[in-house]
Amino acid sequence: MAAIESFDNIHLDLSREHGKCRFAESGLGWKPAGGGDTFTLDAGNIGGAQWSRAARGYEVKILQRSSGVIQLDGFQEEDYERLSKIFKSWYSTNLEYKEHSVRGWNWGKAEFGKAELSFNVQNRPAFEIPYSEISNTNLAGRNEIAVEFSLGDSAKANGQNGATPGKGRKAAAGRDQLVEMRFYIPGTTTRKEAEGGDA
Amino acid sequence: DKNGVEVKKFKRFESYKRDNQFPPKVRDMGIVIDAKNSTIVLPVMGRPVPFHINTIKNASKSDEGEWSFLRINFLSPGQGVGRKDDQPFEDASAHFVRSLTFRSMDGDRYADIANQISNLKRESVKKEQEKKDMED
Repeated sequence: MAAIESFDNIHLDLSREHGKCRFAESGLGWKPAGGGDTFTLDAGNIGGAQWSRAARGYEVKILQRSSGVIQLDGFQEEDYERLSKIFKSWYSTNLEYKEHSVRGWNWGKAEFGKAELSFNVQNRPAFEIPYSEISNTNLAGRNEIAVEFSLGDSAKANGQNGATPGKGRKAAAGRDQLVEMRFYIPGTTTRKEAEGGDA
Repeated sequence: DKNGVEVKKFKRFESYKRDNQFPPKVRDMGIVIDAKNSTIVLPVMGRPVPFHINTIKNASKSDEGEWSFLRINFLSPGQGVGRKDDQPFEDASAHFVRSLTFRSMDGDRYADIANQISNLKRESVKKEQEKKDMED
């Protein structure tokens, strides 16, 4: 492997602008194509990595040791092998191939991980919500939880720019900005009555 | 439209089998109606997330200042209107996504999407009914 492995047309945390993503033994960096500050992540802060299908090609999600997740998307399907080697030999990390549910169901199990909420359908995530993107949650009704997302100060121009990862603007990244999501979670009394439920 | 006598049964459905079946338009990270597969694909944190038309209750558009909002409501337990809640579920003790709300400055687009979802829902209900009538 070369001392530096480089990938073009990669987006950092759903940035509107694409950039160059470079991996080295010491860590990784992302620089917007149009110029600007470079985001860097130290190899020591890489706690885990996942590979999955995203809207724009494929995504590498890095679970940081400190906290939070870094999303890099725009990879090609055939980049997997190269990336898998990079993570294995340089970061002693397995690039886990995460298959998502595409069944189209709206029922499953909301599970709370270290850095994100994962909605799983038949043990596969249908989507994940990094906690950094949530601005507010409240009990909206009986068994109903409302989760509101941060959309940035003036998110009129959809999509963020520059190297500002994990700052709570992923919900506003696309042409349709996600404002709120509501979940129905059966109550504890119902669960007790049902018996044997361990959720 | 229902005679209310027989118990409705839950029938399984599926949007896609594999993640390479998404319409190419999901790249734009916007809402995509995939009528062919009776599915609405919604962007959630950079991921295309399919929801089969059978999970959808309705969709509505509203306006607030220069923003337009599109709210998609899904079927979930405990929404029974009127006398009884006869909507069947595969697992009523599961967690459910109950609604998703998006915003955009393009109100016409949301009016159009809400309309398309309603049409798709109507067609799907009609098809189900026809299938049931054939079985009877």
